Order: sequence, then C-alpha cells, then structure tokens
Amino acid sequence: MPDFTRRHLLVLTIAALVLPNMALAQDPQAILRAAFDNWRATSSHAVAEMTIKKASGTRSLTMENWTQGGDKALVRFIAPARDAGNATLQNGRRTYVFNPKLNQVIQLPASAMSQSWMGSDFSYNDLTKTEQLVNDYTHTLLETRRQNGHDVYVIESIPKRGKPIVWGKQVVQVRDDSVLLREDFYDQSGNLVRSMAADRVRMLGGRPYPIEMTMSRAATPGAWTRIVTKSAEFDIDIPSYLFTRSNLQNPR
Amino acid sequence: MLAALAWRNIWRQPARSILSLIGLAFSSLLLVFMLSFQFGVYDTIKVGALGLLNGFGQFQPIGYKDDPDISRVLPNWHALMDATKINGVDAATPRAASYAIMANGDTSFGAAIMGVNPASEPKVSTLASTIVEGRYLAQNDTAAIVMGAGLARNLGLKLGDTVTMLGTGNDGSVAADVLAIVGIFSTGIAEIDRQITQMPLARFQDTFNLGDNVNIIAMRSRGFNDIVNAEPALRKMAKDAGAVYLRWDELQPEVRQLITLDLSTAMLAYGVMIVVVVFILLNTLYMSVLERTREFGGLMAIGMRPAQIGTMVWLELVFLSLLGAGIGIALGAGITVWVQEVGIQFAGMDEVFRQWGISGRVYPSLSLFTATIGPGIIVGAIVILGLIPYRHILGLEPVKAMGAA
Repeated sequence: MPDFTRRHLLVLTIAALVLPNMALAQDPQAILRAAFDNWRATSSHAVAEMTIKKASGTRSLTMENWTQGGDKALVRFIAPARDAGNATLQNGRRTYVFNPKLNQVIQLPASAMSQSWMGSDFSYNDLTKTEQLVNDYTHTLLETRRQNGHDVYVIESIPKRGKPIVWGKQVVQVRDDSVLLREDFYDQSGNLVRSMAADRVRMLGGRPYPIEMTMSRAATPGAWTRIVTKSAEFDIDIPSYLFTRSNLQNPR
Repeated sequence: MLAALAWRNIWRQPARSILSLIGLAFSSLLLVFMLSFQFGVYDTIKVGALGLLNGFGQFQPIGYKDDPDISRVLPNWHALMDATKINGVDAATPRAASYAIMANGDTSFGAAIMGVNPASEPKVSTLASTIVEGRYLAQNDTAAIVMGAGLARNLGLKLGDTVTMLGTGNDGSVAADVLAIVGIFSTGIAEIDRQITQMPLARFQDTFNLGDNVNIIAMRSRGFNDIVNAEPALRKMAKDAGAVYLRWDELQPEVRQLITLDLSTAMLAYGVMIVVVVFILLNTLYMSVLERTREFGGLMAIGMRPAQIGTMVWLELVFLSLLGAGIGIALGAGITVWVQEVGIQFAGMDEVFRQWGISGRVYPSLSLFTATIGPGIIVGAIVILGLIPYRHILGLEPVKAMGAA
C-alpha cells in the first residue's frame, strides 16, 4: 500500500512536471502568458539603454526601470544629462510623467497615451499594454517552426469584439523557452504598421531574455528604437512606495 | 430697314411687350443677384474659414501635410518670407507647431501648440480678433500663451493663471515649460477653442529645441483671389527653396467640397428657372406670331419675301430679350451693389456660419461673370429657339395666310 502510494505520487509528480509544458505547447494564450511572465516576471529591476535612430540623427538614453505585476512600471532616465531625471510612472490605468525642469508631475490624459514616449518609436501605451495582448485578444497558433535549435510558435492574435484596441491584429513569435522573439502590429486593413524584434537573446538574471529589442515602423524605414538591457534582476522584493506619485517626484 | 420694322412692331403691342420685358428683366435681375450673392457667400466662407488660422496659402516642408511632425522644418524659411514681394501676397508669418500636453495640477489635456510671431501673425490670421479675455500675444512676451475658451474651461484655468506644457522637442527630448495665460479666445468653432494654443515663436523654438527653424509660413492677400492669381509664382518660389506651396483647397478641402456641393444643387435650380422663363417667353412670342399670320400674308402680297419677314420676327425676339436682359442686369447689378454696401443679416444662422468662421452678415460679390452668365443664357436660348417661328413663317403662302383667322 505505501509502495503503491509512492509510485502513484511519482506518476503524479512526473505528470505535474510534464503536463504544463504539453498544455503550453498547445494553448497559444498560455504560450503568450508564459512569454510575458518570462519577460517581466512578478517583478523586475533593470538598467537599459535606449537608442533612437531617426533621419535627423541618433540619440541614446540610459534608463533604470522597475516593474511589478502586469500594471505597474516606473522608468527613470539617468543619462545623458539633458534627459536625466525625466521619469514615467504607470500604475494601473494612470500614467504620470515627471519633468525635473518643471519639478512637476503631470498625469497624462488618455488622448496622449498614443503619443511617442521620449521621442522613441514606443508610445506610452506600450509601457504596460502587454497584459492587454494576453487577455483582450483571441489567439490562434499559426505554425510551429524550427529555428536555431528551438521551436518557435507563431501566434496570430485578433482583438476581441468591443475592446478598445487600435490594431487589426498582431502576429507574435515565441520561442519554446518562452522568449518573445517578434511582435508584428497590423492595422485594421491588414497592413503592417510596426514590428518589434528580439535581435539578441542571452541568459540574464537567471533566465533566457531578449536583451536587445528593436521597434521599427513600416512607414519610416531607416528609423528605429532599440532597447538593450544591460543588467536585470527578476522576482525581487520591490517596496510598494516605489510606484507612487510622491516617489516619482521625490525618489527616496 | 428690317431692324426698324422689328423695333416698331414691338411697340405696336405695348402691353404685351412690356409684360414680356418685365418677365425677362425680373428673371435676369434675380439671376444676377442670386449668383452674385452665392459667390459672395463662397468668398465669405473662404475668407472666414481660411483667414481664421490657416491663411489663404501656406509654404510647408515636403510631406508635412500628411505627417506634421515638428522635425519637418521649412528649408530656407527666411528666403520664403520674401513671398510678400510677390504681387498679390500682402502678409506672411512664420510658425512652428507641435502637440503638447497642457496640465493644471491633475487635470491635463492634449492640445496643439503653435509658436507664432506676435507682430506678423495678426496680419494673416484673424484669431487675434477673437480674443474675449485679456489680449493677444505681444512682441516682448516670453513665457506667455493664448488658448481657446474651451481648453481653459476644461483645464479650470483663467486669465493670468499658469499652465504646464509638456511636449516632445525636435530632437526627441522632453520639451517642458510653464506659461502664463495672457489671452483667451473664442472662435465659436469648438475644435479650435478646445485644441489650439499659441505662444511666442522665439520661446517655442527655445523650448522645443528647434534652433532658428520653423515648420510653415502662412500667407494672406487683401482680396481672396489675389493669392489665387499669385499661385504660379508661389509654387515656383516654394520649389526653388525645396518646399511646397499649399493652396486654400489643399489646406481645407472641406471648404471646396462644401462650395462644390452647394453650387451643383444651386445650378440645378437656376437651370430649371431658366428653362421655365425661356419657354414662357417663347410661348407668348410664338402666339403673337400665329396671331399675325394675316398681317404676314399682307406683307408677302405687297412683295416682302418670307425670309425677310422671318428675320424681322426673329429680330423682334432678339431686341425684346436683349432689352429685357439689359434692364434686368442694370437693376440686378444696382441692387447687388447696394447690398454689397450694407450686407444681409441672416437671423438665426449665426451658429451655422460660425462653424465656418464667418459672422452672420453676408455680402454678395458682383462680377462680370455673375452679372452676365444668367441673362446671357436666357438671351442665347431665345435667340436660338426663336428660329422656330422663323421656320414657321418660311412655310406661309400669301393667299392662305391672308385668309387665316
């Protein structure tokens, strides 16, 4: 009897270990969920460099960012001097911007959320809209492709009816170790508007991570925004005061 | 000889001729006035809609119209300001523009922010004249802003308060400033009153890291058509500088669409009116020809050929229509000129008009075209259709004609 129990337990344990992966291989929503969990974890703290290439020139900014859950993010720019001190805080649906010259916090109106963030190809919406992709879209696994020794899932995501989403669809590519490789954004008439691609994947903070990501727009070839993550730690304790308005203005 | 006969014949039936003349003159008068009025309204709409903000024409960087990004700056803009030397262009003003967030505490709204030259701007745009509180920007203003009443109300700000502006500079860096509200305008156009703000150009260039650059040059002429006539010169000037010139209907295509739509429905009404007038007149004249069959028989009996009689009758029609149209044009032009002085007030139309940036008073615009096109078509139609009685007369025989009732 104890023998049976032990064997039973073993089977259960193996099943518990194997089954989620099998489920993951079949359910595109779970694949995406896992990819975003891998990307942002339950919390994260990272230092990254953002390079903005435009026809008029190239600009590089260094930023420190913290995230918690799916809807809290704080980004503080630390270099160059001209941009240092500017910070963006997202907490739930509210987005705040701090400007050191004004020494003032401004809450962004909804109409400004689609505006360029710090002159980059990202919008304020992009800072936390990741959750929306998982929940507000219907996902279809288009194909599973073999690439550099990994399975890559190509998932088509179409917005659910009635959700306030500007995109007609997104096509997302996720590697079998939950690394987000590529995200293509299409408009309502099916034209490619912009793409975010992982250019380099390395181990970072104990997990495979797209340390170099480039966002480019179909309408402006030759212009792009690249974010290179220099260092990161995941699933750490972040004090809750970090994501408050007062901390945005006066960092502790 | 035939002409003299025709003229005399007209006055042998003075009552009928005068009635015909009155009909002709009145319809001509109506056409002259209505067309002048219509074109006057169009001019008023054009001047009102474009004069408020856009100007009658603009120089823009290539591609700016489709993607008005602050980084698209006007090449050689100082040279382009020489447009005022072109005959017909009376004023030009440089502008820079971007989108910014306007904030007051926790309240914030997105709005367009324009950097303008306080000295030259009012010569191009009538926005300054719609200030209802405070004043327009002045030459020595620095951290000053004027905004629409709608935006000020939404932000909970009044004259003299400061507003925080947060935008993106030319180089992508944050452009932030605190500006004092020196004036609040109310154009009556909700979108403009909610979304437009203006600040001094120099401060704008500084805040948005724009250097000495501007995004557009807006222009105005005294008469609306002056700048339309100067278009080839302006296009060439823009091309030489590496920029583009935008005509009024490229700046505000909806104005042209409105005019085209209105004109096409109006043309239908004028067409119907002309057809009715022509047929009523021809009917009267043709009846009088039929009545005079006996007279024509007599004329033929004493040696006048049918073609001569036909020509005489046709000349009667021509004289009558020319005289009627002439009187109509004279009266119509007179009335139009008088109304041009005083204007016409449309009670209750203020709301509609204000959307197009015009006041409730509308002035007709008399031109050679509006004065002659309507009566001209009537005369032309009568001259051509008058060949029907001519043909009728050619078929007459003296004896039968004299025996006719």
